[in-house]
Amino acid sequence: MIIKMSKVEIVGPKDQLLEVLNLLRGKGVFHPEAEVHGYVPTEDEGRIRELLLDEGAVGEKLFFEKFRARILKLLDCLPDLPSRTASIRPLPIIDILYDLVAKHLASCHEWNQQRQTLREECETLARYVRFWSVLEPLVDEVGGDSDLKFFGVTIRSAAEIVPFKALLEKQTRGRCRLSTASIEDGTIIGLITTDPEMEPTLRQLLTDERVPELNLPEALDDLPFWKKSAVLKRLLRERSSRLQGVVDKLEEFAHHWLPVYRQALDWLEERLSLYQATASAYETRQCFIIHGWMTSCGVDDLRKDLNAAFSGQVLIHELEIHHEDLDRVPVLMQNPLYFKPFELFARLLPLPKYSSYDPTPFLGLFFPLLFGMILGDIGYGLILGLIAALLIYVFPERRNLSDGAKILGVSAAYTMLFGILFGELFGNLGRHLLGLHPIWLERGQAILPMICFALSVGTAHILFGLGLGIRYEIRRKRHREALTKGINLLVIFLIGLTLIAELVPHPWTVTIPLLATVLTLVSMLVLVGGLLAPLELLKNFGNIISYVRLMAIGLCSVLLAEVANRLGGMTGNVIAGFLVAGVLHFFNLVLGVFSPTVHALRLHYVEFFSKFLELGGRRFEPLSKKPK
Amino acid sequence: MEKVLLAFAAALAVGIPALATAWAQSRIGSAGAGTLAEKPELTGTIIILIAIPETMVILGFVVAAMILVMI
Repeated sequence: MIIKMSKVEIVGPKDQLLEVLNLLRGKGVFHPEAEVHGYVPTEDEGRIRELLLDEGAVGEKLFFEKFRARILKLLDCLPDLPSRTASIRPLPIIDILYDLVAKHLASCHEWNQQRQTLREECETLARYVRFWSVLEPLVDEVGGDSDLKFFGVTIRSAAEIVPFKALLEKQTRGRCRLSTASIEDGTIIGLITTDPEMEPTLRQLLTDERVPELNLPEALDDLPFWKKSAVLKRLLRERSSRLQGVVDKLEEFAHHWLPVYRQALDWLEERLSLYQATASAYETRQCFIIHGWMTSCGVDDLRKDLNAAFSGQVLIHELEIHHEDLDRVPVLMQNPLYFKPFELFARLLPLPKYSSYDPTPFLGLFFPLLFGMILGDIGYGLILGLIAALLIYVFPERRNLSDGAKILGVSAAYTMLFGILFGELFGNLGRHLLGLHPIWLERGQAILPMICFALSVGTAHILFGLGLGIRYEIRRKRHREALTKGINLLVIFLIGLTLIAELVPHPWTVTIPLLATVLTLVSMLVLVGGLLAPLELLKNFGNIISYVRLMAIGLCSVLLAEVANRLGGMTGNVIAGFLVAGVLHFFNLVLGVFSPTVHALRLHYVEFFSKFLELGGRRFEPLSKKPK
Repeated sequence: MEKVLLAFAAALAVGIPALATAWAQSRIGSAGAGTLAEKPELTGTIIILIAIPETMVILGFVVAAMILVMI
């Protein structure tokens, strides 16, 4: 349900403003309102003005913002290690910290650049070493210390090896040899060995065929081919060790200074958010004024806290909520334990307006009922109940899943209840095995009575919605809309009576006077609601007919269950029959969870809520401290 | 013969609105999926929009049931 709100005004001496805001943030109960209109009598609006920070406060705010930006830059340079909570208070040492952060930022920036450069070098060298470790055995095979020439190349795919080999043989007249191997990532590399005379020809061939040659750092160009691998490994070891040194330095620095800077950042953000909150404050010559909203039940507690903290210098007044304020009152919804899980479905809709209704209790009351009417099977209800219990037991921490499981549990109870009424246990299996009989109706046969039942449920639901709508319109002082809804309600009720009179003739049900009253009411409807008002009436009838889905989807579920049983019986084997029927019942159960959920929700969202719910409320967002 | 025609009429009464509903839902569903990718807070509105055309097939079902009752 929607919690009752109070419109409040907090007044105190100007120099206490930040402390008051700090207390309000700590309590987390006050939603500030920047708009002054409606709080102050129109003739007094000129006597107060938006609070402007004095020069000192503006300077302090700019200093804090600059300080925060520096700390954020520094934290970007440091590894994100978990840190202890520092026991320092930043305010007394703020100037020292401000100078220190600039020096630390310069050092960390330099270390970061070194780390980046070394990391890139290590990656490149590691790649070379990987290639060379594969090439090394090939070089040894052909005699690495001879005066032969070697080319390391990368070959695009295994399919290209044979044509490339043939081309090499042709161009060098058989005076070269290609050895290939593949490395871990699947790249194929090749070693071409040739005599020095063929070197220019071979180089030209590689260029023409666009075969990439393995390039090494220029410093290694003068080394013989067989020595390159060892030098590369030595270089990689040296760079890795330097990189580790820089990383250690950064981690050691982070270990010492992260707690201090994190603590300072938290403090700065708290302080800056106070300055931000002053944007909603107003001032007179000596006082500050803050307007806003809070729950009515919390006003007395806050008054006591303010009195205790500021010795009665800061006052809180409750103001009258005018009719024109209703659209801007923030909305906070709280529900009893049973209804709480149904907030999961209510959250799918935008927030209702303060003067409207919280949809959660209605969903809690009617959703499981409609779900049970559609699925209505003892066996399915039992399985769903077990699944719900299991989910609640296994995932108690996952709120949405646990809420969904609780809704499923309640819906399963209604499913079993209607299953008893319809005499269904896995379709008609209960009838064949246990001699179960419907207490009320057999859904598979009684199609017309079930349609009548679904329409009756729809009529009752829609009439209830219209009743709530009338109450809401009266509360909003929209009497014409209330009257239109009232006539709609009466017409639907009278047409319902007329239908009953036709179906069940009785001395006191007289059709003609009823119809005459309906016609009179429809004429009144045009006068009150305009030419389009009868269309709204027709829409209401469409909404009622829409409830036939309760019966239609239920019938599909019954027939599918019967088909499952019949196919299972046709196998002529107990195990095969059990498997066939089990699989089909499983699919029916899956459909039986999704379909009733979607349709029961739709009946609420489209048909029922459209009669009384006005959406578009403001969320209650109190000033509060950042959670640690 | 009359029974066959009535059964055929019932099948058409539910079949044609079912096709129309499916077509409407396919269009709304694809647009809704695109919307949800950008604005997940509109989930409720999208469910409502997707569910609206279903009334057609329910009305068709009612008509079909009434025809079948006549057989």
